[in-house]
Amino acid sequence: MAGSASVIEDGSTLSRLDRALFKLETFFALLSGLAIFALMILAVVSVGGRNFFGQPVPGYVDWIEQAMPLIAFMGVAYTQRLGGHIRMDILVGQLKGRALWLAEFTTAFFMLALMILLVWGTWAHFARSFDFDARLWSRDSSMDIALPIWPAKLLAPVAFSVLCLRLVLQLVAYGRAIVLGLEKPVAVPLIESAAEQAAREAETLQGAD
Amino acid sequence: MDPIDIGLWVSGGLLIMVVLGMRVAFAAALAGMIGLIWIFWSKKGMAGDEFWWALTVATKTAGQVPHSKVASQALSLIPTFILIGYLAYYAKLTQALFEAAKRWIAWVPGGLAVSTVFATAGFAAVSGASVATAAVFARIAIPEMLKIGYDKRFAAGVVAAGGTLASLIPPSAILVIYAIIVEQDVGKLLLAGFIPGVFSAFIYGLLIIGMALTFRNFGPPVSGFTWGERFTSLLPALPIVLVVLIIILFVYNPFGGDAWGTPTEGGAIGAFIVFCVALFRGMRWTELKSALLETAKLTVMIFTIIWGVLIYVRFLGFADLPGAFSDWITSLTMSPMLILVCILLAYAVLGMFMDAIGMLLLTLPVVYPAVMALNGGETVAAADSAFGMSGPMCAIWFGILVVKMAEFCLITPPIGLNCFVVAGVRDDLSVQDVFKGVTPFFIADGVTIALLVAFPMIVLWLPSLA
Repeated sequence: MAGSASVIEDGSTLSRLDRALFKLETFFALLSGLAIFALMILAVVSVGGRNFFGQPVPGYVDWIEQAMPLIAFMGVAYTQRLGGHIRMDILVGQLKGRALWLAEFTTAFFMLALMILLVWGTWAHFARSFDFDARLWSRDSSMDIALPIWPAKLLAPVAFSVLCLRLVLQLVAYGRAIVLGLEKPVAVPLIESAAEQAAREAETLQGAD
Repeated sequence: MDPIDIGLWVSGGLLIMVVLGMRVAFAAALAGMIGLIWIFWSKKGMAGDEFWWALTVATKTAGQVPHSKVASQALSLIPTFILIGYLAYYAKLTQALFEAAKRWIAWVPGGLAVSTVFATAGFAAVSGASVATAAVFARIAIPEMLKIGYDKRFAAGVVAAGGTLASLIPPSAILVIYAIIVEQDVGKLLLAGFIPGVFSAFIYGLLIIGMALTFRNFGPPVSGFTWGERFTSLLPALPIVLVVLIIILFVYNPFGGDAWGTPTEGGAIGAFIVFCVALFRGMRWTELKSALLETAKLTVMIFTIIWGVLIYVRFLGFADLPGAFSDWITSLTMSPMLILVCILLAYAVLGMFMDAIGMLLLTLPVVYPAVMALNGGETVAAADSAFGMSGPMCAIWFGILVVKMAEFCLITPPIGLNCFVVAGVRDDLSVQDVFKGVTPFFIADGVTIALLVAFPMIVLWLPSLA
């Protein structure tokens, strides 16, 4: 079961596009990370306010529910770029060369088909709560302090669109690898054996303890 | 075709996609999407001109799931627990914990190995990452054990096994995920994990002491620490204990009265403590940024599986597959206990090839209702049930058993990841060496699981108080 992998970079157009998109993905993922940090601070302030000043943060739960989509969706393409979405690679791990890239191309293709449908579906979900004529453009609002919900709903199609871009890029990279019979194509996560993965895991923690 | 047949075909297809290496989250979502289209279309008699309608309805049904399921306060516990884990590395708590464990317990036979088990268990609990913990302790604890004459294979086994104690002791992200998927009280599950987790650590400890008393030249006790040295070692390790305690106190107040708050608040305060310690130990923006990115990546991975699987679950509801599976399980003439043991063994096999989170999320929507039906239903009273416990208690018990099974698989061949990691860190050890060294712990885990099955009170005592 692979959790992460390494991506090869070079000076080709494909790799440059990959890195440009990765910048956007990293920015989105960092937003998600900062939202997690904000969630922590919010809870600490809320507990402190309740216990020491008898005054909880107004709309605490509303804010959490608004932050969750930010946390849950924004890093989705970043994680795909790094091969971080888990899968069972016991079978594909045995494949090499064209057979491997064909397998990767196929699964990425189905993923893209799914994500295009989900961009549509989540957009429809957003569109139902968005209305230019309503107060704060919103047809629905949160329970406690009446925050509009459409911005949080909009995050899903936005993040999923970036994932679609990422998948298109990966399809091109895998396609190129199939046609040219490449050993180690750029811009896609490469499968690592458990031992390689372990070695890298150990390396990233070097100096952290 | 009737809905149950569609359910079986789609679930079979999902299995094939997963085995062929499609990323679990998207395989589940795709299976759900295809299933929804199929079921809606078959309602219209699969007429050619109705396909577009079926596609639209299915897409809009599936499109509601990601936002509506993810925007929940209960799920906000998961990122805070993960944040604690990544910050814990920068708080430099590993060495401190090992040092404290050594000074306090290394005087028993096999003492350094026992200290390693407890230090590893403690850090793994807080970091929540079995594999990463094994990597860190392989570099801290193995050299010290080798220095005083431990067998290197055994030393490696201790570290690999100690790392598996992560997912029962709070904070445990995987227990939160279980609780959310089966719609049970998160707090009670977190509480329920505490005693089995500590219990597992004690079984490991007893095993090491027993081996040290039986075999000669095993590795001498380490003594000679003064009480002063012992107490000064406590302070740097304190944040770990504090985090575990706070999370428990935010779920259950042992002194009577209300718990201190919600589990999410407990997790957030735990993260804040570790954050302050990390700042104090010299963490700067670069380190914080990388911790936040790692936290975001793991959180997104987990949430993607959650909404992906929930799209599949939405479809399963239409197909009524879980109901059919429950009916089949309860119609079997075997004793319920035997069926439960078979289910657990199936998880042991599955866990050898799959990551714990993916495995649980994919299987629970079908398996969990069947287990509940086996016990007599969600709302059954303890007196009328097959396993002698009420419905909610059975949910807790089964959750702990399944998670323990999943951890057990981290040290089983062929792909017990913890063993690979320890071997990867140490150039002088092969994976076979580590598997050999971990064998006693493997057996000990078998005994622990048998005890948890035979004596459910070990699991259920603490949550029954709350």
